[in-house]
This record gives sequence, C-alpha cells and structure tokens, in this order.
Amino acid sequence: MGPGRAGRAVAWAYIAALLLFLYVPLAPPLRFSLGGGGEAGTRAGAVTLRWYRQLWDNPLLVGGVQNSLLVGALVGLITPPLALLAAMAVRELRRPRLIVATVLLPLFIPGVSMGLASAFFFRQLGVTPSLLTITTVHVVWALPFAFLIILAVMATFDPMYLEAAYLHGAGRLRAFVDVELPLIRHGILGAAIFSVILSFNETVRTALVQGPNNTVQTYIWSTFLQVGLSPTLYALMSLLIAVTLGLVAVLLLVGARGAVSARGG
Amino acid sequence: MGALQGRVAGVARYALLVLPLAFVAGALLVPLGLMFVWSFWERAGFWIRPAFTLASYAEFFAGVRLSVLERSLVVAAGVTLLGLLLAYPIAYFLALRVRRDLARNVLLLFTIPFLVNYIIRTFSWVYLLSRTGPVNRALMAAGVTQRAVDWLLFSDFAVFVGLISSYMPFMIYPLWAALDGLDRRLVEASWLLGASPRVTFLRVTLPLSMPGVFAAVIFGFVGTFGESAVPIILGGVGYQLMGNTITSALDVLNYPLAAAMSSVVVATMLAFLLVWYLAFDLRAVLGKIARWRF
Repeated sequence: MGPGRAGRAVAWAYIAALLLFLYVPLAPPLRFSLGGGGEAGTRAGAVTLRWYRQLWDNPLLVGGVQNSLLVGALVGLITPPLALLAAMAVRELRRPRLIVATVLLPLFIPGVSMGLASAFFFRQLGVTPSLLTITTVHVVWALPFAFLIILAVMATFDPMYLEAAYLHGAGRLRAFVDVELPLIRHGILGAAIFSVILSFNETVRTALVQGPNNTVQTYIWSTFLQVGLSPTLYALMSLLIAVTLGLVAVLLLVGARGAVSARGG
Repeated sequence: MGALQGRVAGVARYALLVLPLAFVAGALLVPLGLMFVWSFWERAGFWIRPAFTLASYAEFFAGVRLSVLERSLVVAAGVTLLGLLLAYPIAYFLALRVRRDLARNVLLLFTIPFLVNYIIRTFSWVYLLSRTGPVNRALMAAGVTQRAVDWLLFSDFAVFVGLISSYMPFMIYPLWAALDGLDRRLVEASWLLGASPRVTFLRVTLPLSMPGVFAAVIFGFVGTFGESAVPIILGGVGYQLMGNTITSALDVLNYPLAAAMSSVVVATMLAFLLVWYLAFDLRAVLGKIARWRF
C-alpha cells in the first residue's frame, strides 16, 4: 500500500497487462480475414481482400447488413428520448429510487432470459417476429446505458438556470427546450451513439426474437453454429470491430466537445 | 392559461414522464412475469397450452439438468470471485492513487473492448488458446512446456478466460465509483489513530466499498450465470451451462422447460437485486452521476 515509485510501476504494469488481455482478442479476426485461404490460421499467405469482396455477393448477408442498419437507426432514434424522459422522471416524480431501479433492471436480466421472455410474449400476443420485435428488445437493452449517460450529463447542469427561466415567465416546456436542452444536447447524442453500438453488437437477445430476419450478428452466430468459422466470417467480424471502434471515436469526440461547451458556456 | 388547460398540460407531462417506465414494464416486466406463468403450462405440439403442472420443474430438478444448475452456480461464483480479485486492485489504485481525469481515461480504455460484441471476442480466444495458437507457442518458446498444452481450449479454463474477458471490465466501474466516493477523512482518521495501512484497508476502506463490491458481484454474476454463447464456443462438445441448456430446450421445442429454467435464472438475479436494493444505498454506486433526492 506504500505508494512508492516501485509500487506505482507495479500497479501500472498490472493495468497494462489486463488491458492487453482485453484488447488482444480484437486482433485475430483481422489476421484471418486477410489470409490467402486454406484453413484459417495455419498458413500465412499473401494478403488478400477477396473475402471482403465476397461478402457483398451473399444476398442473405446483404439483407442482414440492411436490417442491422435499419434496426440500429431506429434504436438510436427511440432510445435517447425515452432515456431522457426517464432521467427527467427521476428528477420530477416521487419515488426516484424505484424509477432508477426499474430503468436499470434490463442490465441485470441475463440475455437468454430477456430474449426468451420477449419471444414467448410476442408469440402469445400473435406478433410476428420482425425488425420491430428486434428493435423493441434492443431498445430495452440499450435504455439503461442511455439513461446513465444522460443522467450523468444532467448532473452537470445547474437547475438554477431553470429557476431563472421560470422567473422570466417561461413554461416548463419552453425552459427545457431553450435552456436545458442546448446544455445536455451532447449527452443525448452520446446516448444515441452508444445505443447504436449496443444494437450493432447484440446477438443473444436478437437471436430469440429475429424470426426469419437476420442481423449481421445473428448471421455470424448462425453460420458459426451451422458450418463453423470461415475467412468470410472473419472479414465480417473485422468490419464490425472497425465500425464499432469508429463509433466509439465519434462518441469520444462528442464527449470532448460536450465537455468543452459545458466548461465554456 | 385556463385551469383546465393547465390540468391537461399536467396530465400530458405526467404521461410523458411515466412513458419509459411503462415501456420497461410492458416490454420486460410483464413478459418476465408471464414467462414464469408459462413455465407451469404444458407442451402442446409446437407450442404450449394452459395447465398447472410442475412437470417442467420436476424435469429440471430431477434430471441431469440439476448438475447444470450446480455447475453454472460454481462457474458464475468462480468467475465473479476471480473478476473481483482482478478488478478491485485496479479500482483501488485508480480511485485513491491517481488523478481523477487520468483515472477516467484508463476506465475508458477498459470500456472500449467491452463494446465490441463479446461473441466476436470469444471466437478469438478459440484461436489464441488453440494447440498451435500464440499462447501455446509462447509457453513452448519460454520452455514452460515441451508439448502443446491441450487443456487451454474446450475446457473449464477456456470458459473462465472467455467469461472473465467478457464481464470483468463491467465490474471495475461500481468498485471505482464506491472507492472514489469514499470520504478520505475517514482513512486519514484511521492513519492518525495509528492503524497500519493493512488495518486501515481491512477496517475502513474495504467495509466502506462494500456497496460497490456487491454491485460488482451482481454485474459479474448476471453476465456469467445466464451466459449461453461462451460455453458453446469455448467449452467444447457437451459443455452445458444454464444459458445454453435453455437454448437447447428451445431447439427441441420444450418451451415450458425453457421457461422454467429461465425463471430460475431470473429469480436468482432478482434475489440478488432485492438484497442490494434493501441493504445498500444505490447512491453509493451511482451517487456521483446523479443528484436525485431520496
């Protein structure tokens, strides 16, 4: 516990080792997606992009990509307003503890159980599995994360500004739109991007409510179960990793811009 | 503004504010409740029909699936404990020994891989832990072993590696939040009263971080107890945990059994949550990100 220089070095080395443990699994798909073929991993051949080109010849997969994009867009549009309302409910309604617990609940339900309960529910109601059933489940899953992000940003907002707006005769809506919204806008955008990332990377829940509709992730999962992994799947995984990291970069930019505007404005 | 208009606006505002709660209730709580109800129904062709039978629970608890439950509990407890041991020192160091902005950046580094689908990351472990994979090559190059170690993959070890890399990052945040929110004066008081660092940690820091520890336990447990993909990918043929046993019951159209097993999983989680809700203050973990009144 003595925070000597050696102790700090050990601590940082330990953190670096654990980060390595978490980051290393991001690399193999890229390696196998560029390989010349044969059994993945056994031959280090010439670098080729043909597996990436072949992706677009597969109509099932192209459909999956379209579905993922559509569902991702819907989740990114629906989740933040819901999360914003939930965060405002915490501030405005009674029993905030209960509200927080309810909105965070989806975090604590295992994916299989959430997917299964939803699938049975839809079937019993006579709702045919569609992109909308997938979207519903994704929104439930993304809501707690979006909620926490917006709650965190709202905590940096000084409610005195709202009081000032009320004193100047603004109604609740007007005060929110003109005063609070501009200051928490980046949090809402961040929640949207985070929701899209979660939607793009969801498999277990989706697989139970997808019906005949594939997303990219369920395509990877079902192809793995049926025929195993292939360079084409690795190419797809590499693309997904790249898209996810790209979205994370956008998220960080939004966060940094928000921090600057919160400090400056 | 007229009184009626005002009341309409009030009702509209209230309706908007409860909308997200209604959504979670309708899309999650009601389906979970009904799943429990349907676990007492019976199989009927390709679906289920109303009944009140304990047959599914009997099938679950009497059959070999009980050992699956036991194994899932042992694996989940083991992964959670290991995750806690791995995550606590990081959270402690970041919260109490590092500037806060630097700590936030390191926490961010732990978040990023977590956002990539853990199933894709788990596929990578199949290669990394395989007989000809980098781990075995490194072990042989270092002279630790002559021949490739084959229990690295398709084993308990592989499942543990996959589960820890999937869920451990999630455990760091509540621990960090609890430790970061700690009143430093209590630690200083302990020092001033002459307690050794070890005693200070055991009698002040650790007890005060218990809400975070319990939250981390829940995060670790929820991920691993119902996990369905990791055992399929890394456990090898026949490696059954609750999650993939539930999906295999679905594959043979035994819906009531799947609902029964799933209900047991959810009930276990809810029991954990209830203890957390009753015994700990949510604010100890979430406090700094929200200033709500209780």
